[in-house]
Amino acid sequence: MSVALQIIIPLALLTGLALVFSIIIAIFSKKFAVEVNPKIELVENLLSGANCGACGYAGCSAFAKALVEGDATLPSCSATSKESKEEIAKILGSDDIGESTVVIVACNGGNSCQNKYSYQGYGDCASVELLAGGSKACPVGCIGMSKCIMECPHHAIELNEGHAMVKQEACVQCGVCISHCPKKLIKRLPSKAIYYIACSSEDRGKEVRSYCKNGCIGCRICVKNCKENALSFENNLPVFDYDKCTACGVCFEKCPAKCIKKLDI
Amino acid sequence: MSATAILVLIINAILVNNFILSRFLGICPFLGVSKKIDTALGMGFAVIFVMGVASVITYALNLLLIKANILYLQTIIFILVIASLIQLVEIIIRRFSPGLYAALGVYLPLITTNCAVLGVAIMNVTLPVPSVGSGLLVAFINGISSGIGFTIAILILAGIREKLQTADIPKIFQGFPITLLIASIMAMGFAAFSGFNIG
Repeated sequence: MSVALQIIIPLALLTGLALVFSIIIAIFSKKFAVEVNPKIELVENLLSGANCGACGYAGCSAFAKALVEGDATLPSCSATSKESKEEIAKILGSDDIGESTVVIVACNGGNSCQNKYSYQGYGDCASVELLAGGSKACPVGCIGMSKCIMECPHHAIELNEGHAMVKQEACVQCGVCISHCPKKLIKRLPSKAIYYIACSSEDRGKEVRSYCKNGCIGCRICVKNCKENALSFENNLPVFDYDKCTACGVCFEKCPAKCIKKLDI
Repeated sequence: MSATAILVLIINAILVNNFILSRFLGICPFLGVSKKIDTALGMGFAVIFVMGVASVITYALNLLLIKANILYLQTIIFILVIASLIQLVEIIIRRFSPGLYAALGVYLPLITTNCAVLGVAIMNVTLPVPSVGSGLLVAFINGISSGIGFTIAILILAGIREKLQTADIPKIFQGFPITLLIASIMAMGFAAFSGFNIG
């Protein structure tokens, strides 16, 4: 066999084979092509990527798919920033981006709240809750067994003097913790909120005082002192109207129980 | 080709010379995709298909290479065949089972570099079981049963790993260390089959 043939035969064989295989693959990929909407990838890249599951979908990529197909709406995602949501709204051709919110723990008790019993054993808040409605004397007091801290995908909750507190600089408002609190103490407020009531007990002031030093005693000083009438009083607790609140801080300073708290942002 | 010869081929590929546990080829997907039985099964079927088809095509091509006296091209041509087959499998799985496609992830294209597939192709042309000889049918049976051997090994490991999720494992053994330990114990178990005198 001549030298020329020794080069040409392998070359022809290899090229020929590669050509045959590439033609087969090309035919197959046309025949079994999967149509992917290019919008889905664009939207997915803009979402926060937290994969927290608060929207009810398996993750950000499933949510992006649902968004593009019209099965989901943007307000159900709280973890994505406002700017990114506006971008996504442009891609989707809608302008409903939902209100941005903050997540807070509406309890200030912790170590200042008396214990009904001392819990020793396995578990988290949910297991303590099963035992006579929690170890705290307050029927809605934060148990402080860190269920929300363990569930938070962003490590944005910490224990502060025995009760949970949201670290606002780390929180992305996904709201996973909200459904895990057996006392329903974690609440979502509009992002306008600067001050909030850090007590959820609907008991009368005297009773609250008997078991918790930090609870709302129902004195109504905050309601009386608010110049904007932004505070009302319902079920033995003051209620903020954040549309009226100008964040002057009078209520925060005057509260004798110090259960009106300021967001640390 | 006698029925005994076929049985010898199958038992040899599945038990005696199991690709993963006796020859230690194809360890990457074995450890990577064995977290859940479902995905392990999907991976196993993909490997069975690729091994079976690749065995036939590479055996036929090898005859051509011998005729043209360019046997040195063997490895590169085998890899070409295997890579093309993986592409086909990937397209088909993506079309018909997006869930499995997402679960297999990077390990699906990685079958291309799975040494077990190249290993079965090369073993086919160098007599898998000397007493049976070689041939297109031998290559096909050997390919399919090697794939089944791979599937059985990965399924056993996936089954054990699923049980392990609820087991109380010392912290330093959690994750990969315990998996490697289990794999080695399984390999010792399969070493018992090497007592079969079928060569």
